[in-house]
Amino acid sequence: MTDLSFTEEQRDCLQELINVAMGLASDKLARFLNTFVHLQVPAIGLVNAAEIPEQFRGQYQGLNSSMISLGFFGDGGLRGETILLYQLENAGKIAALLGYDDDATSEAEMLTDISSILTTTFLNGLAEQLDNSFSYAAPRIISSRDNDFISKLEQTAFHWQLALKVDIRYELTDYSFDCNMILLIPGEAVLKLKAILDNVLAEF
Amino acid sequence: MALTALICDDSLLARNQMKKSLPAAFDAEIVTATNGLEALTVLRGQEIGVVFLDLTMPELDGVGVLEAIKAERMDVFVIVVSADIQPEMQKRVMDLGALAFIQKPVNTDKLSAVMRQYGLI
Amino acid sequence: MDIDWLSGPLLQQLNSGVILLNKQLQVVYINPYICRRADIQLESVQGKDLFSVFADAPKAWLSRKLNSVLSLQSPAFSSWEQRQYLFKLPHLRPVSSANQYMAQNCNMLPLTEPSSGEHFVCLLIEDATDAYVYQSQLQQSNLQLQQVNRLDGLTGVLNRNYWQQQLEVEVQRAGRYQHPLSLLFFDLDKFKRLNDEYGHQAGDIVLIEVAKLIGSLLRETDLFGRYGGEEFAIILPDTPLEGAIEVAKRICQRVAATPIEYQQQQLMTSVSVGVSQFSIATSADELIQQADLALYQAKRNGRNQVVTYYPELIDSLKKVKT
Repeated sequence: MTDLSFTEEQRDCLQELINVAMGLASDKLARFLNTFVHLQVPAIGLVNAAEIPEQFRGQYQGLNSSMISLGFFGDGGLRGETILLYQLENAGKIAALLGYDDDATSEAEMLTDISSILTTTFLNGLAEQLDNSFSYAAPRIISSRDNDFISKLEQTAFHWQLALKVDIRYELTDYSFDCNMILLIPGEAVLKLKAILDNVLAEF
Repeated sequence: MALTALICDDSLLARNQMKKSLPAAFDAEIVTATNGLEALTVLRGQEIGVVFLDLTMPELDGVGVLEAIKAERMDVFVIVVSADIQPEMQKRVMDLGALAFIQKPVNTDKLSAVMRQYGLI
Repeated sequence: MDIDWLSGPLLQQLNSGVILLNKQLQVVYINPYICRRADIQLESVQGKDLFSVFADAPKAWLSRKLNSVLSLQSPAFSSWEQRQYLFKLPHLRPVSSANQYMAQNCNMLPLTEPSSGEHFVCLLIEDATDAYVYQSQLQQSNLQLQQVNRLDGLTGVLNRNYWQQQLEVEVQRAGRYQHPLSLLFFDLDKFKRLNDEYGHQAGDIVLIEVAKLIGSLLRETDLFGRYGGEEFAIILPDTPLEGAIEVAKRICQRVAATPIEYQQQQLMTSVSVGVSQFSIATSADELIQQADLALYQAKRNGRNQVVTYYPELIDSLKKVKT
């Protein structure tokens, strides 16, 4: 079986690349949303995708949560899917944050809008670090507050061998809301990613 | 006497990138620290001319290091090297006495420009 | 091979819409796919503000979104599932589809002109009408199916099963938010005799007409169900006892005063009503039991009247039984 695990150097390298990408994304977001985005060192872990639903069951079960997925493709076989998880207590805050005063905007639309902004700014920054560029599929709501979203996550995670789990808390000065981001990367793309990281490491 | 420079970053990649990007004209001995607390121990224990300081770190972050340097009136140049480049953060560290702010990832051109400006090379 | 020649004919024949805007959101280019459907000439709209060309487009939201594409240099999306269409365009299924406008998926992409470095935003628009129609039909059938499962076949009010589920929900809600909640149980007086005298068909017509009459006296939020045979029940959310008695009396009076026509005959009927309220009763089962006791007492008192539950009713019932 092919070894998908990361060496300590590879993990450190990826962590730093993600920090830099987060920095780029936060700067863009702060300018766009006119608020200060507080950065935390994101917890990065490579986990067996099958374990993720169980981890989130404890964290989100019983809360009004929503899950939005967005797929991305890069050059050289790098591809994956990001999943954003929200608690829906503060949908109104998100609307204000996005500058929507238009009543016609539904909660679902707000969530897909904020999700595509959060993920694409971050992934664009990551692609830049990797000398790559990503194209994106439209965001999709895989679950809403009425559905059992853990079971949906179970079905989704099934397709991925390994997940790069990046827990990001977006904390803004004026509006704070919780949001977890998970990057899911299929096995063969993990191999590509490892090769790319080795190239970066060889440079330094 | 050659200068001693401290590179403080929790990431090995970032420390290596930093070392490799230092301009050849910069004649200094390099020491490293992997978080803010380690950096303060080094700063208190030996004479350091310049610190290349990351902001987002475990244990004690870069802002905490700057606050300690200011409180203890240490005589050291601080160049912040960070991924967090928001205008508000830049202002905060400059107010705390940082000399300059460099956006990650670092490269020799960015570093040379700043170091030349402050007479470090 | 040089493929510069390709983009022109491709944009001409592409089966998707392409709208290119500059930083001021003015039209730089619109491909024939959109021009033909919107019945506009490219030459006459070039340089014009997007929202003056498409006056019906959701301006506040869309301009905020397009500006995010420009300032973040990240793509944005709009799906027909959240917003059926951005631009009012006709679609090519005018006969088989009931909705008027093309359902649209839209990608909004940041583009940079290489030589000048100038930023543009490009809207790619796809027709999603087929998916929309299919989804709507599916939803429609699901809704019908759901209704069939919830309603009483004869009278069209809620069936017992669904009504009882709703009672559980309302009792929980009233308990959680400390809201009043009342229950009415009622029964058609001497219904058996009516059936014997005029036949089951007449009985059915009376049930249908009485249900219709009472339904017209209720609010949207009241939950009206058939409990069994000629017995009905009404959940009155956010209603204290006095309000419930008021409703019950009105039901009594109106049913007794309204003749029901059956084969050129005027049939007269009446109802007896029992009332119970949440807080005296602490569970759905107790609410039902107490309303049922009160209804029984109304029958004993001579029918065509309202009785509110009171604790002594339990004792009086015991006396009858012994």
